[in-house]
Amino acid sequence: MVSVAISEVEHDSAAGWPTPPSRGALAWRDIADGFGKSWMWVALALQDTKVRYRGSVLGPFWLTLSTLVMVVAIGVIYGRLFHVDIATYLPYLSLGLIVWQTFSSIITEGCETFLREQSVIQQVPIPFSIHAYRNVCRNFIVLAHNLVIVPIGLVLFGIPIDWRVLEIIPGFLLLAINGFWISILLGLISARFRDVPPIVASFLQILFFMSPIFWPVEMLGDWQAIATLNPLSAAIDVVRAPLLGAATAENSWIVLMIMTVLGCSVTFAVFARFRARIAYWI
Amino acid sequence: MTASLRLRDVSVEFPIYSGGSRSLRKLLLNSTTQGNLARDASDRITVLALSGVTLDIKHGDRLAIIGANGAGKSTLLKVLAGIYAPTGGRMYASGRVSALLTASVGLSPDATGRENIIIRGMYMDVHPRDMRAHVDEIAEFTELGSFIDMPVRTYSAGMMVRLCFAVATSLRPEILLMDEWLAAGDAAFLNKARQRMEDFLSGTSVLVLASHSLSLVKEWCNRAILLDHGRVAAIGSVDDVAAAYESGRT
Repeated sequence: MVSVAISEVEHDSAAGWPTPPSRGALAWRDIADGFGKSWMWVALALQDTKVRYRGSVLGPFWLTLSTLVMVVAIGVIYGRLFHVDIATYLPYLSLGLIVWQTFSSIITEGCETFLREQSVIQQVPIPFSIHAYRNVCRNFIVLAHNLVIVPIGLVLFGIPIDWRVLEIIPGFLLLAINGFWISILLGLISARFRDVPPIVASFLQILFFMSPIFWPVEMLGDWQAIATLNPLSAAIDVVRAPLLGAATAENSWIVLMIMTVLGCSVTFAVFARFRARIAYWI
Repeated sequence: MTASLRLRDVSVEFPIYSGGSRSLRKLLLNSTTQGNLARDASDRITVLALSGVTLDIKHGDRLAIIGANGAGKSTLLKVLAGIYAPTGGRMYASGRVSALLTASVGLSPDATGRENIIIRGMYMDVHPRDMRAHVDEIAEFTELGSFIDMPVRTYSAGMMVRLCFAVATSLRPEILLMDEWLAAGDAAFLNKARQRMEDFLSGTSVLVLASHSLSLVKEWCNRAILLDHGRVAAIGSVDDVAAAYESGRT
């Protein structure tokens, strides 16, 4: 055995090195740097969309079409079941469905935030938050395609538009922020616990039926509180009501705000604690 | 600031999740029940991939990491790349790091070669606008011909290597980390790659190469470290360390 040195470093300690940033600071830097690289996640989200619909004639408008088909199919039958006027029910249903689809696919795909990007995470040290921004952005691109039917519907059913329509801007903003923390939180948990995605999927199904998407809130009568305390119905309400020329339920903004603040705080704490473990988990 | 990488007593411990430890349901059950179920959720074994690694890499270094399979070469590269945060010890890095760790992974299979060049560029922090200037040069180097506009899923392993290699070497990082995967290319390409690699190296400040091939190491590196079961077994000139490696093997 040839004898060779096993260390060439003279001062073996790390004394005098700058103090490493705290976990919280690192997590914050990750989120801020990721946001700053918007060119990256926007381009990646566009690329995702492009690849997903490559070779189909209608491209992402397939989704618009499938939403339309679903709206008409459910609308005609449930409109009859609930004894409601089609002209008010169809716009109500379609807006609810559009927001629901965005929300539910952000959640489903949010479980895959880090798992799907495994090969990238194992290769290049880019901020983890980029994958979450990308997830939200991709689903908003799909949402934008779905929204093209809205103006048509508004004109077709003669729904009056007033300044209240502007309320959808903060509505979508809050939807995006919530989508972001959900993508990070579910992405983290699913990277560690592989049985989470199917659990989430089954909860989503329950949530769909419990939220006022295809049934009108008023039909709950005295039980309307159940719907208004549901964060998802609040999220749907702040987008749907203004577009239908109606006032949002008084609780909606409050419920949504609470969910945003609570979700962001919990996610930040979890993210700060486990961010460095993601590469080990996937 | 000059490029440098410094490690002090760095260790990396991998959790190996098996059986119930990947399941949230079992973990929750575990907290409410005792006995047999409890054993399920905690069968977590850890593997010490790196242990007590202390190392300084400075400007001008061409460092080779040598060692048997499973000695921790790739793990050390991933630590240097900033992918694995050390579970123990400290690391300090300055300079723009680029890592060529594995060839085919990281490519988006349904996107075309051209699109993948742009995507890879983005992961290396290059704006698509700036990357477009390189696309033609990269496409030409890969000799993929019309395949460059086909989805990467249709590529052979060798074609993927060419593409990744060409993209990675089209940019000039200060610190380049390379795992030995070039061998997947064919002989003709290997020669071409060597030429490009030499041009490329003249522009980088630090190279770290993990390799089995002592001849490659002797040609490209001026320092070496030998890893054995995650520990530094030797560090010094390429010849000394290579000799230690050879003597250890026989």
